[in-house]
Amino acid sequence: MSGSSADPSGEPAGEPTSDRAAKRSESSAGDPRGTVAVRERLDRVEDPELARSIVELNYIDAIDVDGDRVEVKFTLPTAWCSPAFAWMMATDARDEVETLDWVAETRIELCDHMHGEEITAGVNARDGFGETFPDADGDVAAVRAAIADKARVARQREAVRALLDAGVDAEQIVSLVRSDLTITGDEAHVDVGGLSVVVDAAPVADYLDRVTTSGHVTGAGDLLFLTPEAEPIPAAELDVVQKRSRLATVNMGGQGAVCDALHRARHGADGPDGSGSPSLDESEFGESTYDGDVEDFTSTWTLSSDD
Amino acid sequence: MYEKDGEEIFVIDGHVHLWDARQENIIHEGGEQFLQCFYDYHTGFTPEEEQWDIDTYRHYGADKMTDDLFGNAAADMAVFQPTYLDDFYDEGFNTTEQNAELAEEYPERFVLNGSFDPRDGEEGLRYLEHLKEEYDIPGVKLYTAEWRDESKGWRLDSDDAFEFLEKCAELGIENINAHKGPTIRPLNRDAFDVKDIDDAASSFPELNFIVNHVGLPRLDDFCWIAAQEPNVYGGIAVASAMSTHRKRKFGEIMGELLFWLGEDRVLFGSDYALWNPDWLVDQVMNAELTDEQQAEYGVELDVDTMKKVMGENAAELYDIDIEEKKRQFRDDDITERFDLADHYGGDAGAAAD
Repeated sequence: MSGSSADPSGEPAGEPTSDRAAKRSESSAGDPRGTVAVRERLDRVEDPELARSIVELNYIDAIDVDGDRVEVKFTLPTAWCSPAFAWMMATDARDEVETLDWVAETRIELCDHMHGEEITAGVNARDGFGETFPDADGDVAAVRAAIADKARVARQREAVRALLDAGVDAEQIVSLVRSDLTITGDEAHVDVGGLSVVVDAAPVADYLDRVTTSGHVTGAGDLLFLTPEAEPIPAAELDVVQKRSRLATVNMGGQGAVCDALHRARHGADGPDGSGSPSLDESEFGESTYDGDVEDFTSTWTLSSDD
Repeated sequence: MYEKDGEEIFVIDGHVHLWDARQENIIHEGGEQFLQCFYDYHTGFTPEEEQWDIDTYRHYGADKMTDDLFGNAAADMAVFQPTYLDDFYDEGFNTTEQNAELAEEYPERFVLNGSFDPRDGEEGLRYLEHLKEEYDIPGVKLYTAEWRDESKGWRLDSDDAFEFLEKCAELGIENINAHKGPTIRPLNRDAFDVKDIDDAASSFPELNFIVNHVGLPRLDDFCWIAAQEPNVYGGIAVASAMSTHRKRKFGEIMGELLFWLGEDRVLFGSDYALWNPDWLVDQVMNAELTDEQQAEYGVELDVDTMKKVMGENAAELYDIDIEEKKRQFRDDDITERFDLADHYGGDAGAAAD
C-alpha cells in the first residue's frame, strides 16, 4: 500500500509538516510530537472492506510513544472480523509507523479479536500470513488485489461524472487514455480530441490513485476507464457501468454501517478513540472469552458468522 | 397484517430461528463467541427500549417466539431457516427438528425449511430424504462458508453440491436459501465470492436461489448476478435492520435491490431473534426513500412494492395462497390465543355483533 517507501530525507524526529500544525494543536494526549505523527501515519491505513481510514473509523485504542518505541493498540468492530483483513490492517499499521525515521521499534496489538494473539504475534515477529495461519488457503495478496479492484470500481463513478458534467460525452470518455489526463493543483486537464477540458481534480485524482495502486492504469496508452471486469467500456454501456460503480459504493457504505453498528455495540457510542477517553473495558465482554484460550479451539473452529 | 394507506399488507417473515444457546448446550468455545457476535448485531441495530438481556437472548423459547411474531400480528406467517452448528452446540443451535416443535404446533403459520451439507455424502442425501419425508420441507438453508475438519467450506457449484441440488429438484425441494455472509477464518478468498450462485442458478432453473443478507458485504456482486439470473432472489435480513439507525443506507440498499432485481425478487426477513418483527415490521413499513434516492433509482417503497416485499414474493415461492390464509386466520389457534379475530376481519364462525 502507499507510504511504505517514506521519504528517507525526513528531518529529525519526523516532526509533522507545517500544514498539519493545526491538527497537531488539537491533540493533547501523550507525547505531542510522537503521538500526532504516529496518528498521521495510521490515518493512511484503511479498513480494506470500507476503503476508509482506521483512524477515522475509531479503531485505534491507544498510541504509546516511549522514546523511539511505539506501541499501537487497535480493535475492530467485531471479534469475528476476517483475519485476513485484520492482518492487512495490522501489517499496514506497522509499516506506516516505521516510515517515521525516529521510530526504532514498533509493536502492534490487535485487541479483542478471535485471532488477536496469533495476529499480534505474527505481525510483530514479521512472519507472513501463511506462517501465522498455515491452514489458510489463498493468500493475502490475492485478497488485497480483489479489494483494490473494488475500490477502483467504486471510485470511477465520481471521476466519470465530473467529466460528464463538464460536457465530455460517453464516446469521448470511454476512449480516454492515461496520457490524456494531467493533474495540476486543483485542476484536472483532460485532452479531448485536442480540446482541453478542465474539471475539479479531487475525484479524478482520487480515482487515478486507485487505478494506479490496483495496476489497471499504468502506461500512457492505457484506457483510463474500464468495466468492473477490467474490459474497455462500449460507449453505449457507460450508463450501466456507472450504475455498477454506484452499486460498489453502496456496498462499501452498507458494510461500513454494519461495522460501525457492531463497533458501537461493543464499545459504546464514543468508542475507544485513543485520545484518552473511554478506554476499552474488556471485562464488559469478559464472558465472551476472546482472551487466553483462543488457540484451544482454532484448530477445530468452524463456521461463519451467520444467522 | 399491516395497514398502510388503507390497504392490508400480509406479512411473511422470511427468516426466523428458534435457537438454544444456553450454557449447558454449548460444547465448544465457538458456540459462546457465536452467540456473543449475534448479540452485538442485536444491540447494534435494535432501538434501546426493544433490546433483550443476554439470558433471554440465549434461549427465548417457543412461547415467547410465538408471542413476538404473532402477538400483535406484526407477522402473519414465518419461515424457519435452520442453523445446525453441531460442533458448537450439543443439541444443535437451531435445527430443523428443534424448529419443527413449534412449526408443527401451528402448521398453518410456519414454513419449515431443512438443510444439507454436501460433505455429508451419502448419509447427507439420506438425511435430506428423511427431512422431506418427515416434514415435507419446501426448501433448505445452506452454509457454504462452514468449515469442517480439513475443509474450508464448500461451493454451490461443486460436483458434490450439484448432487444435492439434483436431489432437491427430484424431491421438489425448490427453495435454496444460501447464506452469503462474512467468511470468518482464516482467509476469505471466497469472502468476495457469490459467484457459485451464478452457476448453480443457471444449472438448476427449476430451483429458486434466495441469497440471504443480499450478499452483504458483496451486494455489488450479488446484484449483478441476480440481474442476469431470473431465479435468484434477495433476502433482506440484516439489511432490514439498518432501518433502525441507518435509514439512508437502508434506502440506498433497497434502491439498488429494486433497481437490479425488481420488486418481485426481494423478500423481507427479520432474522428473528436477531431482531424482532414485533417492532421491525413497523419500522420497515415506515421507511422511505429520500427524493434524491427516488430520482436516482427510479423506484419507491410504495404500498404495492411493500406488499410484494413483505409477503407476496415469499407466498409465491412457498405456494401460499394469501387470501385463503386470511380466511383461515379468522379463527385459527393463533388468532384465538391472541384474540386477533377482529384483526383478520373476522367474525367467521362467530356471531356478528
